[in-house]
Amino acid sequence: MKKVEKKVADDYFKLRTTLIIIYLAVGVCVSYLVVFFARDLSSITFNGFPLHYYMGAQGAVLTFIILLFVNAFVSDKIDQKFGIRTEEKTSISSGKTLDQ
Amino acid sequence: MDSQFLVSFGLILATFGLYIGIALFNKAKQTSDFYVAGRSVPAVFNGMAIGADWMSAASFIGMAGTIMIMGYDGLAYIMGWTGGYLLLTFLLAPQLRKYGRYTVPEFIGDRYQSNAARLIAAVATIIISFTYSIGQLSGSGVVIGRLLEVDVAIGTMVGVVLIAFYSALGGMKGITWTQVAQYLVLIIAYLIPVIFMSLQLTSNPMPWLSYGQIVGELQELDQQLGITEYVVPFTEATKWQFLALMFTLMAGTAGLPHVIVRFYTVATMKAARWSGAWALLFIGLLYLSAPAYAAFSRFILMDQVAGSAINNLPAWTTAWVDTGQLSVADQNGDGVLQWAEIVISKDIVVMATPEIANLGIFVIGLMAAGAMAAALSTAGGLMISISAALSHDIYYRSINPNASEARRLAVGRWSIVIATVVAGLVALNPPGAITQIVAWAFALASGTFFPALLLGVWWKRSNGPGVIAGMVTGLSVSLAYIFAAKYGGFTILGIVDTGAGVFGATAAIIANIVVSLLTKEPTQKVQDEVIDLRYPEEMTYKDGEVWIKDGTEG
Repeated sequence: MKKVEKKVADDYFKLRTTLIIIYLAVGVCVSYLVVFFARDLSSITFNGFPLHYYMGAQGAVLTFIILLFVNAFVSDKIDQKFGIRTEEKTSISSGKTLDQ
Repeated sequence: MDSQFLVSFGLILATFGLYIGIALFNKAKQTSDFYVAGRSVPAVFNGMAIGADWMSAASFIGMAGTIMIMGYDGLAYIMGWTGGYLLLTFLLAPQLRKYGRYTVPEFIGDRYQSNAARLIAAVATIIISFTYSIGQLSGSGVVIGRLLEVDVAIGTMVGVVLIAFYSALGGMKGITWTQVAQYLVLIIAYLIPVIFMSLQLTSNPMPWLSYGQIVGELQELDQQLGITEYVVPFTEATKWQFLALMFTLMAGTAGLPHVIVRFYTVATMKAARWSGAWALLFIGLLYLSAPAYAAFSRFILMDQVAGSAINNLPAWTTAWVDTGQLSVADQNGDGVLQWAEIVISKDIVVMATPEIANLGIFVIGLMAAGAMAAALSTAGGLMISISAALSHDIYYRSINPNASEARRLAVGRWSIVIATVVAGLVALNPPGAITQIVAWAFALASGTFFPALLLGVWWKRSNGPGVIAGMVTGLSVSLAYIFAAKYGGFTILGIVDTGAGVFGATAAIIANIVVSLLTKEPTQKVQDEVIDLRYPEEMTYKDGEVWIKDGTEG
């Protein structure tokens, strides 16, 4: 075990939290915000759909999927940057599981 | 017995054989040091397993029908059920994975250091999973009813026997790989008909790209007939109901015990993040197709069935009329079936679609097998949650800590059988459409687990009395609102029973925060454990300092 400087550990938490807030904000925009303004958006057409319908049926879901993959990818990069080595073999029973 | 019955039945039997075979195969491997070899479920396959666990009869059978009947307003289900994975993967799953317990009530009991909180969480797990399984049984009733051409109630009873047997047997081990197989069966079954319909109607094999054109034509048909327009928002309910329902489904997703448990099967927080991403990609395949189904089916019904002579209807209508889920009556006696005279249940749209589009008996059989895979895999996950809550969290940890392994297993098995039978009895006369019943389960989860887990992970000051107050308040408010809205006609801003979660979650969060602040703060040990969740698996927080593994631990 090696000690991590408090500032480095805090930076890690802050960076991850900031990114999560950004992702969630994007998620809220493509779902709640679009629904809120659905009537106003319905005059715009996209690929044969009224825009509000397209966002509900496809746009929001696609955005969510992309956000999750971006998060997984970027988080791995951040972990690397902070020198975290993911062990190849971590068994299912690692962590503080209780005896059953 | 006609050939349709034989083909469907044969496909269902073949897929069941596959699932049982996989379960047995994995069991054999486990005895040969499967776990000791240190292998874990790879994130891609865990994503598929989460997908099968997640996509229930409501997603498979009910969702496209809900959208077909509700139009734009039905899309709240699509956005809510997928958006929940953002909350789950960003805010809860990796942290819960690091804390490392076997069940959600166990996490709540240990994080909040309260036996009472664990018991309340166990009871809430049972209520939520039970409500959810009513929807599953009601769904398998629709499938079996059509297959045997009997009333849905009889189909439901057959489903009860099947699911009780399957869960008690399959609830043992090797379920991950069984669910991977179930995912593949259900997604293939879902995609084939919609791809063929897309080819038939638009000559384009990509339904996701082609159905915009059909939606455009539907708009014109709607205007000619002068009926409620398909794409116009908020015709079925208010804007606030749409938003409340979407929130309920999102928060409920993040708090469903049987889904969270799947994140415990991976090894690290990193794997939990990737599992969440893969899971939503696999789920997205079905959820992006459901609105295409809805548009195509509605188009065929309006264009080809409505307007035909009443004594010259396609053969498939008779079979569905027999199940009691479809009514076609020439009310004005002009010999022609009008659009308004077709009354179709939300729950049969997907199952009837291959017949409506005349796709042949093999595809219809495949649909039946896929629907059973969806109902079975979710019911299996739910029944394991119920049985774990009863046998582990309540019986073993509170009533009889000296119980032998065999005795706990017996309690678990019997609780599965009893829960399935009781849920089946309720499902005989379901209190709502499948998606609606399932939405209630989500309203209860968003009132109880979502706030308890969210604050448990992100706010170290939250304590035992706080979470008890939160869960009890959230559960009561959600339940009270569902009953008041469904049976008493009480609504706020036009929000009906399915949107109850927004009130449950808000009340629970407020109660948790207020009571926590009024009572003693948690012990230093608990607060340290919560701070520890901020850092990845490889970092440990101890006495105000953070340590990282550097490979010297051996």
